[in-house]
Amino acid sequence: MGDYAILLDTRFCTGCNTCFYKCVQENRLHESAENGFTRTMVFIKDRGLYHHRCMHCEEPSCEATCPSGAFHKTPEGIVLYNNEPCLGCKSCVVACPFNVPYWNQKKKEIVKCTMCAHRVLKGEQPACVEACPTDALEFGPYQDITEKAKQIAADNNLHIYGLEENGGTSVIILTKEDPLVIGYADVPKKVTKARGPKTVVGAAAVAALAYAGIKKYSERRAEIEGLNKGKDNK
Amino acid sequence: MGEVKLKRRDFLKLGGITCLASALIAPLNNLVPFTSFAEAAESEAKYTVTKKIPQVCARACECDCAYNVVVGVDTATGIERGITIEGRPEDPVSRGKYCVKALGFVDSMYNPDRLLVAMKRTNPKRGVDQDPGWVVVSSEEALNEIIEKMKKYKPEEMVFCSPGDPYTNRLCRSLGVRRSDQRTECFGTHYYLNSLMITNPPNKYYSSTYTVTHSLWGFDYSKTKYMLWFGFDSFSKCSKAGILNHIVEGKRNGTKIVGFNPLRTPIADGIIDEWYPIKPGTDLAVALAMIKIMIDEKLYHEDFVKNYTDSVSLIDADKKLHITDSDGKWMAWCTKHNRMEPIDSCDAPALDGGPYTVTVDGKEVQAIPVLQLLQENVKECTAQWAAEISDVPADVITRVTKEFAAAAPNVCIPNLKRDAAGPNYANSWRLMHAINVLHALTGSLDHDGGVLFLHDVKIPWLEDVDPPAKPYPELPDKAPDYRHEFPVTEEIYQKKDFSAPGHYGMIGYGLYKTDMTKVVVFKGPHRGLAALIQPQMVEKALEKMDLVWDWDLYLDDIVYWCDYVLPAPHQFEEGKLDIRQYYPKYPCLVGGEPVQKPPGDCIGWGAIAKKIGFAMAPEYWTTDGSSDPEKIIPGNVNDAALKAVGAAESTEEFMKEKNGIWIDKKPYENYRTIREIGFGRPNGRVRLYIDEFVKVSHEPLPKWADRWTTPDGEYKFSLLVTRAPWHMHADPNFINNKALNVLSENNYIDCVWISPNAAKELGLKEGDSVTVETNPQYMKDLPRPVKSKVHITERIARDDCILLFHGIGHRSKWLKHGRWGYRDGDLIPQKDPNVAKEHDPTGMGWVEDVYVRVVKA
Repeated sequence: MGDYAILLDTRFCTGCNTCFYKCVQENRLHESAENGFTRTMVFIKDRGLYHHRCMHCEEPSCEATCPSGAFHKTPEGIVLYNNEPCLGCKSCVVACPFNVPYWNQKKKEIVKCTMCAHRVLKGEQPACVEACPTDALEFGPYQDITEKAKQIAADNNLHIYGLEENGGTSVIILTKEDPLVIGYADVPKKVTKARGPKTVVGAAAVAALAYAGIKKYSERRAEIEGLNKGKDNK
Repeated sequence: MGEVKLKRRDFLKLGGITCLASALIAPLNNLVPFTSFAEAAESEAKYTVTKKIPQVCARACECDCAYNVVVGVDTATGIERGITIEGRPEDPVSRGKYCVKALGFVDSMYNPDRLLVAMKRTNPKRGVDQDPGWVVVSSEEALNEIIEKMKKYKPEEMVFCSPGDPYTNRLCRSLGVRRSDQRTECFGTHYYLNSLMITNPPNKYYSSTYTVTHSLWGFDYSKTKYMLWFGFDSFSKCSKAGILNHIVEGKRNGTKIVGFNPLRTPIADGIIDEWYPIKPGTDLAVALAMIKIMIDEKLYHEDFVKNYTDSVSLIDADKKLHITDSDGKWMAWCTKHNRMEPIDSCDAPALDGGPYTVTVDGKEVQAIPVLQLLQENVKECTAQWAAEISDVPADVITRVTKEFAAAAPNVCIPNLKRDAAGPNYANSWRLMHAINVLHALTGSLDHDGGVLFLHDVKIPWLEDVDPPAKPYPELPDKAPDYRHEFPVTEEIYQKKDFSAPGHYGMIGYGLYKTDMTKVVVFKGPHRGLAALIQPQMVEKALEKMDLVWDWDLYLDDIVYWCDYVLPAPHQFEEGKLDIRQYYPKYPCLVGGEPVQKPPGDCIGWGAIAKKIGFAMAPEYWTTDGSSDPEKIIPGNVNDAALKAVGAAESTEEFMKEKNGIWIDKKPYENYRTIREIGFGRPNGRVRLYIDEFVKVSHEPLPKWADRWTTPDGEYKFSLLVTRAPWHMHADPNFINNKALNVLSENNYIDCVWISPNAAKELGLKEGDSVTVETNPQYMKDLPRPVKSKVHITERIARDDCILLFHGIGHRSKWLKHGRWGYRDGDLIPQKDPNVAKEHDPTGMGWVEDVYVRVVKA
């Protein structure tokens, strides 16, 4: 697992969205946000609060599926996106089991949380964590965060989301109600196999090899039959 | 073309290469992004910090959180500007936290729709369908013209629609002009009950700041053991960082919170321990039942009740007023000496019993202790009775009361702004009365862990530092907001506290129905038409005014009826000095500095008030009562406040040398401040029994009364109103922010909320268009039903309620992103002063006391 993780205890979240706007200011994403593309947002649902944010999976489906290597899981646990190699194929949008990445057609880029890598690398907290008025968000070493999450969940009969989903993530969410009822994605507790161009390329390579193999077999068989005919005719 | 034959060796080579390539994919995958990560833009900050400016939030809510505005160079543009907020951990209110509105304020400094120049109308026709024909004039020129016009009118023909800040107070008093203000809808009910029961203004600590909360106290959320919330967890509280950081600390330390609210907010999801969807407008029943239980079972804090309240005071059974001696001191019945004695010297006062026969001014009088009368007032108010009215189970009321009493005095019932005890219903003042009684019964007033009183710090009035050279003129007998018809609030306003909230709930009605007013001044900013009750009446009335002018940050709706609009500076473009009214445990002053100079021709309100005041009533604006412009009052209340506590000799020194904070962290002295500011000083007490109410034929002690309106056929939905956590009032700083609008849309703030069952009964689906209409019986003039989409949600926990969001529905074409949503104000019932007087001695807003119908559009 990466070095760091975020713990979100939704019991203390009030849906104020200070995290949302802090993210916009910290990362200068005003134009994006004005067009509906945000790295994080809290939705006030009927049975609880749904935080839309990148889960920074241990084995990111976006990274696995991206044909151009635009995603990368850093040692810190952060899944970063680089616009430069991005082809705009949006296979990450399809592949992400948490339905996180937004594709900004105008700017031709994916929008998703970076866990404020620029701050984390300097030893600071992500901006959303710093800004939360109730300390519902906490940032720290992955081990500490997950242990704390389990303890709080056990003590208070809470659901844990993000610990095992998609094989484990670096964003651990505690909820009073079943997260699926609140609106969080129903994600299996194992890595979601990537379906996308990478697999296609792999499949194409196997197909090419199979074609070559069959072609070789066919030619060899024809050659043998030809030789046998020659022998028969003698 | 001939067929290409694949040699065996070539096939084997191809296979081998394919396998090798597959095996190498994983490391190759990492190779490319690893290189790009090192260069990735996402590992770089998007701005460089150049400075951090201390500020105090003055306009988002009354927490007045202190924080730093981070100024930096935006990498993308190369421009230095305000970037974001950083907390100030040393501030005892915010403790390093801030909210989404503070963040929004930073960006609003640069809102392209900000008004930076003064505007003057050239088209005399007013109205939202008229083009005012604005021309730009200098602020000085506009002000000069305004002054010349105002000079033609008598004081009784003018009204200022403004909070009672120091400069507005001075200006209105010097001109002899009435003032009416929007804070009625936030604090009116709270304020007047607090004044009548405890704070008894003027007192040594009450001070007027630029964000007058009209409250002398805060709540010790982090230390209290038990809290009752009567609608305290509104959506607007969801972002109040200044109290939330304390509340969650208390919660983590085991504070129990019981909440009553027909709306289930996110705070109720996680922070409230027990939540009950109470019937709107019936919280009073629960509070009265609690009072009954506490008195009947003697669960009250006897020492506090006897020594710090008027519970033992004798009431003349005939006149129904406090019996006093020749010095005006309250009297008690001594159970040891069997006679009437002054309350402060009686060592065995009776809390109950009577009537006792006493002699007053030579006459025999029957006298009853206040607590006995209180017990009689609530004798019908059983838990079962309250349950039938409120839908809160009787066993819950009983159990919660006992738990609450057991945790005393470390308990509180916080109430701020538009809670149930605010100006929501005709019986809200009674609930506020009952809440203060409950506080008194638990001894939690002025106690650590309970209700904290401001003490040992004050920002003086202008009159304290620059006293007027002669008495102010009398105010006009009549007020356009009918305040003169409410002796209770009129007396406080005229004789005790000129900053007291005005009857904004009736200013629209008054301007529309009477002809006394010719000049209306709106001291925005951020209030305007969308914050007014009965905006339809205001709009119609303003059409006929001779002069209307506004001081504002934006050309908002109100300007369609204005002759002049003067540009206001942003709150971050002003210096600040503030007390810590929302957490007054320690005497504290915090200061703020301007982040930037006000741009364009923006002019501060103090400068406006001084110029008008000096031009029209110079004798009140000079140090010697002359007309000498060299002698204009300095008006430096901040320096005086700092010197008084020894914080600094000047504001400049305070900010430079002391980093803009002074705090005296001495232990809180329980019950000391009550003695200093309460009734019956020098041994001040809390007054449960309010004589002033008797004089206007209202109940002096809490007693049950229903709401003003009742359901009527299709008009069966109780109106609930709140505002989004990221909005403040009707403030365009937030409503005109496109990113916040996206947030609003994603959270259905632009919709009317309704329960699933109610929606089903009306045949509504999510997103359907509806029309919401107030019962015409309570909306006789200029009805304006509201059109909206509907959001169906379980958060509306009762089928007899709908929820609207306040502050949206602007129409101004000069707000590029602000024209969305509906206007809740259009639904507030109209009441004339006679109706108001019948139900409410304080004459407050009653903004939710109406039943509406919902019809599919």
